[in-house]
Amino acid sequence: MSTPVLQVERLYMAYRRPEGWLEVLRDLSFQVAEGEFVTVIGPSGCGKTTLLRLIAGLIRPVSGQILLRGNPVFQPSREVGFVFQQPALLPWRTALENVALPLEVDGCSRKEALQKARALLRWVGLEGFENAYPTHLSGGMAQRVALARALIHDPSILLLDEPFGSLDALTRETLARELARLWEERRLTVLMVTHSVSEAVFLADRVLVLTPRPTTLAAEVPVSLPRPRDATLLEEPAFIALVREVRERLNWAQRSGSVTQTPNLWYNPPDNRANLVGTVSNATLESDRRTSGAVLPGYRD
Amino acid sequence: MKTTYISRILVVGISMLAFFGLWEGVVWLGGYPPFILPSPGQVVQRLGVLLADGSLWRHMGVTVGEILAGLALGTVVATALGYLLAHFPIAERLLSPYIIASQSVPVVAVAPLLVIWFGPGLLSKILVCALVVFFPILVNTIVGVRSVEPELRDLMRMLEANRWKTFWFLEVPAALPVLLSGLKIGATLSVIGAVVGEFVASNQGLGYLIKQGQQLYDTPLVFVGIGMLIALAQALYGTVALAERFLLRGHSIHTKEVR
Ligand SMILES: Nc1ncnc2c1ncn2[C@@H]1O[C@H](COP(=O)(O)OP(=O)(O)OP(=O)(O)O)[C@@H](O)[C@H]1O
Ligand SMILES: [Mg+2]
Repeated sequence: MSTPVLQVERLYMAYRRPEGWLEVLRDLSFQVAEGEFVTVIGPSGCGKTTLLRLIAGLIRPVSGQILLRGNPVFQPSREVGFVFQQPALLPWRTALENVALPLEVDGCSRKEALQKARALLRWVGLEGFENAYPTHLSGGMAQRVALARALIHDPSILLLDEPFGSLDALTRETLARELARLWEERRLTVLMVTHSVSEAVFLADRVLVLTPRPTTLAAEVPVSLPRPRDATLLEEPAFIALVREVRERLNWAQRSGSVTQTPNLWYNPPDNRANLVGTVSNATLESDRRTSGAVLPGYRD
Repeated sequence: MKTTYISRILVVGISMLAFFGLWEGVVWLGGYPPFILPSPGQVVQRLGVLLADGSLWRHMGVTVGEILAGLALGTVVATALGYLLAHFPIAERLLSPYIIASQSVPVVAVAPLLVIWFGPGLLSKILVCALVVFFPILVNTIVGVRSVEPELRDLMRMLEANRWKTFWFLEVPAALPVLLSGLKIGATLSVIGAVVGEFVASNQGLGYLIKQGQQLYDTPLVFVGIGMLIALAQALYGTVALAERFLLRGHSIHTKEVR
């Protein structure tokens, strides 16, 4: 197999806080292959946004490596399409102009940029809303615009940070189905954070389950449900079983807080990671001995 | 839509008519001599004389020139400095005591100093004007640039936008509403600045006319000067408001809903 689009290797991350260092990620490793849809699920505040921002090159890790098509990430690049938790549209630009923004920033002619943007906007189902300003768009529509904008560069990987997080349940489901359809059409490489277990399973080829802080991988759950996926899948036993499995993994992770204590009953990690898991266990044991567990020993000021 | 516009003009017209009627009435009832309180008719008459000999246009031209130059100078310096201060908090901490001190001294007190340094000509008035305009625009620039949401900055970074492109595509449009409201304040203040400068030392301009009217007890002349200044301030404010309407077409929809 060719090299993965994204390799995250032994990532450590901590934030400096007035009371000391807040350890967020601890020895997190995983990969995303070309054309794969990977969802990330984890407890609230465990560092999912931090992870995506690290991959995007917006912030630098304490240690560890992030490789994008084999090249280390040092700074933000157009190779990565990012849809933030909030749509982050420019309020003075219409939907169409917002989608065209990346090309205009590149120095493309406005006409050419708008033309490409128009096609993308139609593709995400917003034909007829080209000239609407963001305040006149619903939350779901705004996220579609943000999605179209993130895709206009044909990025190597698309990072989605709870893109449906602020939407109502119904819109959420519609958009998830929509996203599944779009992905099936284009075979994008996607890494998406969500806090909905069924959404994570519905969309993914693989679900990454994270532990609470300091965060590492609790489990990887492959999802080999048939595609194309639609609403009927939600009732299928295979789907329901997977949702239950992911939920149990998540609960397990939340209770025990570490990968090594999770029994590997359902899942065997790939061979190349076997030795990594060993290192994680040492780190975790150390953290259990400390009461706070949030402050790196050498980093206190 | 159209009817409200017409009715608004009607209301303003009626109120102005009532104002001048009242004024005329007070003069008539009180029997005041023109050097105490001239009637509107006498003021208009004086205006006619000034228009006829062309002196009004000359003096007004001088004042308008000072205002525009001062406004431009103040705006350019204030926005440039404001942008820097917004991006470099250290610079802000370093300079803000001086900036605030410069603001706590009334312009009227500084104007004589500027006349001593830069002579009684146009330059000193332009500087007084710029000084008055400077602070509101500086503050609004800083607020405007700082108001840019961090997520939008992240977005620009993801697009590999350099400083100039972030400035052009993000900071300028984002800061524009706040900047323009600063400019509106600045525009009205600039009229004050010019007149203060002219009061201190001058031989032309609307401020000079008013001062001359005072010395000669030519009160109608004072009123003409005041009327012209009001008209000037209104025109300036209106111009900026119009520019605002035009520049913030997309914004206005945004801000209307946010409020
Ligand atoms: N810039 C920062 N400085 C200090 N602490 C931060 C910073 N950003 C995030 N944190 C902290 O790091 C932890 C992880 O934050 P992060 O936003 O990555 O979590 P998350 O999993 O995305 O949370 P959520 O589920 O709420 O979206 C949180 O405790 C947060 O308070
Ligand atoms: Mg988050």
